[in-house]
Amino acid sequence: MYDLTIVGGGPAGAGAAIYAARKKLKTLLITDGWGGQSIVSADIQNWIGLGSITGLDLAKNLEQHVRSYGSDVEIWDTDLAVKVEKKEDHFFLTTKSGKTLETKIVLVTSGSRRRRLGIPGEDKLDGKGVAWCSTCDAPLFKDMEVAVIGGGNAGLETVLDLNPYAKKIYLLHRGPALKGDPVTQEKISKMEKVQIILSAQTQEILGDKFVSGLKYNDKVLPVQGVFIEIGSVPNTEFLGGLVNLNERGEIIVDHKTQQSSLGGIWAAGDVSDVLYKQNNISVGDAIKAVLNIYSYLHKEGHI
Amino acid sequence: MAKKIIIYSTPTCVYCKMAKAFFQEKNVAYEEHDVAVNEVARKEMMDKSHQLGVPVIDIDGEIFVGFDRDALSKALNI
Repeated sequence: MYDLTIVGGGPAGAGAAIYAARKKLKTLLITDGWGGQSIVSADIQNWIGLGSITGLDLAKNLEQHVRSYGSDVEIWDTDLAVKVEKKEDHFFLTTKSGKTLETKIVLVTSGSRRRRLGIPGEDKLDGKGVAWCSTCDAPLFKDMEVAVIGGGNAGLETVLDLNPYAKKIYLLHRGPALKGDPVTQEKISKMEKVQIILSAQTQEILGDKFVSGLKYNDKVLPVQGVFIEIGSVPNTEFLGGLVNLNERGEIIVDHKTQQSSLGGIWAAGDVSDVLYKQNNISVGDAIKAVLNIYSYLHKEGHI
Repeated sequence: MAKKIIIYSTPTCVYCKMAKAFFQEKNVAYEEHDVAVNEVARKEMMDKSHQLGVPVIDIDGEIFVGFDRDALSKALNI
């Protein structure tokens, strides 16, 4: 029986593992990958203490730091928690590869994944012009016309990534004004090839073998690429309704302790109802959780 | 005989880097085409994979889109 099982290997999971190791809790970390969603970022400039780091290097650093604690943290890093069941005073977990385990505490740091538009053509043309990673795929859209959907920071950064390659970029936003940082908005508004379309309701992605157009507000844009950047969905399915979620599907936590509505389950990072989704905040909240878990285990006489 | 591996990549693609690091870690030789600059290779990649996204990995004609450690390990028996 583990004292603590951490589900997720992003900044929150790594931060939690390091603190749990230092507290000598019998800890297991389950993840299918390190570094979280910002692993695809070409340049993170706000990771405190470093002026600039790639998402991949940040992921490697987090992994190495956790591994430096050796046997104090057990790591299953090519697996995924798929089910959590409550037993009398502990939890029973099942992983994707079919392994099972028992743990006194679960700390959920499973983050979130990309939100999809849910319109016709999106699934059929996924990878065939429908794209999710501009740092990866922007060069493939050289001399093409593309649409970026979403006027938040991720959407604006996607426009910046595409700018050296695409012939024409349409930036579509559902609301009446862009949401991303004003500094980036200003940069984009000066780019000749960018056309900003506000109050845009996307309806269908058109195309047979590859994307040939995007339908919105009953009009069609003749694009060959559609980059979708409309936010995220928290990864909570594996909890199967054990804890209370808010209307966005995020785990509701007590922000002093990171405890969820069910005793024994804590959550931190983007999967929680934290107001700001930031790497630095995820780390801090996860550490808060571990310190609280540690005092809980002591108080209850579990360790 | 060793299988022939071709990876189609872009310089900024993290999953391409992870795939290459995986091959290096396993001491497996591979041939790399940068489709950001090589248009012939880009066309070849699209013909093989029927899609636009990197990495595309060709192992003796078997096509993998994205980096899936388990699938690659299986294909290479490692």
